[in-house]
Amino acid sequence: MDLSTPVRDALAELLLTLADDEFVLGYWDSEWTGIAPMLEEDVAMSSVSQDEIGHARAWYELVASLTDDDADRLAYGRAPEEYRHAALMNHARTDWAFTVARRFLYEHADAARLESLARSSYSPLAELAVKMRREETYHLMHFEIWLRRLAEAGGEARERLAAALERLGPDAATVFSPLAGEAALVEAGILPDPLDALRSRWLERVGPVCEALGLPAPDGAAALPPDGRTRRTDEFAWLHGELTMVARSEEAATW
Amino acid sequence: MSEPQDRVWEVFRQEAEGDPMVHGGSVRAPDEELALHYAREFYGRRQESHRLWVVARDSIVELDDPDLLDPPFDRSHKRPGGYIIKHKLEAAKARAATTGAPEVEE
Repeated sequence: MDLSTPVRDALAELLLTLADDEFVLGYWDSEWTGIAPMLEEDVAMSSVSQDEIGHARAWYELVASLTDDDADRLAYGRAPEEYRHAALMNHARTDWAFTVARRFLYEHADAARLESLARSSYSPLAELAVKMRREETYHLMHFEIWLRRLAEAGGEARERLAAALERLGPDAATVFSPLAGEAALVEAGILPDPLDALRSRWLERVGPVCEALGLPAPDGAAALPPDGRTRRTDEFAWLHGELTMVARSEEAATW
Repeated sequence: MSEPQDRVWEVFRQEAEGDPMVHGGSVRAPDEELALHYAREFYGRRQESHRLWVVARDSIVELDDPDLLDPPFDRSHKRPGGYIIKHKLEAAKARAATTGAPEVEE
């Protein structure tokens, strides 16, 4: 598929948002290794986080092939303000209820996005989306189980979960922040649905789940902030320092 | 808030279609759904299993009564090894050597 420069740049930007979402979330949740609520969940959470880093790698490689860059440089060689993850991924790991709430919101957003991208006219993107959906379906199931468990447990578990959902709802919607070259991508069939349409589909999925459990659902009418994918926090700056530590220790090294 | 009631689940795995299901180990989980997820993480995430069975340990009917499994009398006649046929076989061979093996008819 021949891509004009503006379309190629827009595609690289889209892919970078996908990569950074998975990469940053994978790192945050890998912090549960060793301290998850129970041994079995510790292993499961670490494995899920590893899956996300693997997905990020695949997306970074696709970006690198379009922009003549390097996947490792994209992952570990950028300044914090150059990352393009949604504001949802700016927050620190916090507690288990917060992690479950973020995962529930994100996995549904990612599912809506991948379902659409699996029909992309850009076949390398469509092929990756098809493969990832197979793993992400399991992630989604896993965190819905936990969402239900915490909600039905009542007491502090339910209170913490509801508070986290309330706090994260606005930032979760920024997964669907409009992209600079979005119209060109939709035109070319690379992005089969506008991001705003995907946001509606996401709300149609998370809304009923929250409602059935009596939990606060994200507000579908709220306007998206203009800095949904460019805002960076001190918490992310800390994580960035952690995750780039080894790469920075010997910059010329071949890993 | 009530404490989660964890149960132990026994996991059986099959490496390839048609292979026997063999016991892999166990996981602890509060319910069937998470037990399956944890079984997958512990016994299937490296593509080492073609199929998993997860059984609640308390659903297993156990028999470990020594009166039934290790009876006090000699029950060796219930095992193939309880029959000594070595001497019978040797005698039969010797007989065949002296009388000659029957000719195979054309």
